[in-house]
Amino acid sequence: MNEQIVWIVLKRLRTPFLVIIITFAISILGLVLIQGTDNNGQPYQMTFFDAFYFVTYMASTIGFGEAPYTFNYEQRMWVSFAIYFTVIGWFYGIGAIVSLIQDEALKKALNRNSFRNHVRNINKPFYIILGYNGITKSIIDRLNGKDYRLVVLDKDDEKIDELILENFYPNVPGFVGDATNQKMLKIAGIHQKNCVGIISLFEDDMVNSKIATISKLLNKKIDIIVKATSKAQLEHFRSMNLKHVKNPFDIISKRIYYGITAPYIWLLEMWMYGHILKLKKRDQFPRGKYIIYGKGRMGRAIQEGLQKAGIEYVIEDFDSQRYIKEKNTTIFGDDDDIKRLLKLGVKESACIIAATQNDLLNLTILNKAKQLNPNIFTMARENSLDDLNIFQASKINKIYIVEKILADATYSYIARPLADLFIQEARKKDDEWAKVIVHMLNNITGMNPMYFETKLNDANAYALTLRLQKGENITLADLRRSRANRNEMLHVVFLLLKREDEIYLMPDARMNLKIDDELLIVSDEENYDDFEYIVNNIYELEYVLGYRDL
Amino acid sequence: MNMHKIMSGSFFILAMTVNFGFFYGEPTVLEQHSSYELFAAIIVNLIATVLKLGDRTQLGAVLLATSIVADIQLIASATVWAFALYVINDINIEAATAIVSLSGGALLANIVSVILFVGDTIKSKR
Repeated sequence: MNEQIVWIVLKRLRTPFLVIIITFAISILGLVLIQGTDNNGQPYQMTFFDAFYFVTYMASTIGFGEAPYTFNYEQRMWVSFAIYFTVIGWFYGIGAIVSLIQDEALKKALNRNSFRNHVRNINKPFYIILGYNGITKSIIDRLNGKDYRLVVLDKDDEKIDELILENFYPNVPGFVGDATNQKMLKIAGIHQKNCVGIISLFEDDMVNSKIATISKLLNKKIDIIVKATSKAQLEHFRSMNLKHVKNPFDIISKRIYYGITAPYIWLLEMWMYGHILKLKKRDQFPRGKYIIYGKGRMGRAIQEGLQKAGIEYVIEDFDSQRYIKEKNTTIFGDDDDIKRLLKLGVKESACIIAATQNDLLNLTILNKAKQLNPNIFTMARENSLDDLNIFQASKINKIYIVEKILADATYSYIARPLADLFIQEARKKDDEWAKVIVHMLNNITGMNPMYFETKLNDANAYALTLRLQKGENITLADLRRSRANRNEMLHVVFLLLKREDEIYLMPDARMNLKIDDELLIVSDEENYDDFEYIVNNIYELEYVLGYRDL
Repeated sequence: MNMHKIMSGSFFILAMTVNFGFFYGEPTVLEQHSSYELFAAIIVNLIATVLKLGDRTQLGAVLLATSIVADIQLIASATVWAFALYVINDINIEAATAIVSLSGGALLANIVSVILFVGDTIKSKR
């Protein structure tokens, strides 16, 4: 039990204790003062002990009978008064204790205690997630229990209830608390050695900035993953030396830029997030004039991407809230709107992007545009994940869900650092290079390969590290042999090798491996299983290297 | 000035004075010590203890501690009395002295408590 709880309990118990003491005292005193009659009819005086004994069992309604002698009428009159008096006092005391157990303040203190203990008992590295919502839920879904544990703080107790109802395994401890309060961050374990980072993706940039500042002061070592949606904010975070600033609009801007200028680099990136590794025709960004509806943060981000790509565009300053207020509808497309669309040149345009903050408006804008120009390429911003089905049903070419992009980016930074690195490196190359890579991956591993990340250490590659420790030279090509027949190749591709701070994109097959090299491997599950066998099993490795036969 | 301060202050001091009333007299002669006074001392001391519950300050903790000591001493004194009366059936000099001196110990605890209480009052600016 925590100090604080003891004090709360003691303070609450004051009045019930007082009531019990006083009722007992008065009843006892009365019994002592009243003259009784013993069995022989002689008068006698009850002692304090007799009275205390009698009142004790009377008040608790145990009732052993009249002691030490049968009472006379004077005594009985007093006792009948005392029964009501003490029993009520006694029940009030019990009632107060019971209601204390159900007390909100006490419950909160108890909850805080158990939360603190849960966090303390986590022995894996963990992240503190601030705010529980669609974004963080999808991060928890993918991240929880693999290599990391998670802890959640949210101001709203309904959100925490939701979290508890999700029943994550392993358990994700959650607690109601203001994330900008440093006391709460301490309780959430920011000082703990195994706390690796804090994730703050609030809508409000000010809140994020405040949290980043506090966290930085509280613990210099942790990663702070924070969202920034404006340039100024981004600069501010950079100046604070935060490396992991997530700006969903910046990601969208870059995707559009690469989608237009380098589709294969775009494809590689999208494949990392679950797209299949094939450029479908309807995925390709068209060349030509673009129309952007909505000039908010999203609209401006798209504008930036288009400008960089050198694409002609018009941007329409369209405020969804004002539109709804003025026209009193969320259905876009009356005569004025059609005129406006035509004036913007919808018939000659190649693409229209609806980037307003209202999902229904986005849908209807694209619908109207499609009616006017059936060949137009459509892109929509989707604001809430709940509307996903409607969007999927309405055959829009591309949907940008800000929440999902943010969740994906955060997840891949934490759990797939090499994939993240690969995308960054790939962006420095040209599209021809990416095209070659995509074709090679398609040839070796198929249309929808998976990727794996591994570190060559004792835990992940036992047999290999044993041999490397002896100073043996083993190359990447050695590990690509099949364990069924070493003259055949496994269907694996090594995309990236990271050795300390050096990064080798598409490493040479003749390259010698070292312990603690990190590898990004593309393959399917079966071949990757084989790869794991080879690096872990001494006999398999000996066979593959040619030291023993099957 | 508030009601709670007056209540608790008066009970702290009353605990000491009532206890002194019981303690005063020849220690070997139990007739000089009224059982009513012992009863009153126990009740007042218990109430004083309860009034000190839940005070989170350092002083509050020490006051509570002295009060609990006084309670234990007084209840022990009453227990010895009941034991001598009903189990041994004879209140000899040893028992009588024990009863009175136990309450004397409680009196010391009460005095410490009152000194701390008065000291705190003097220390406070208003």
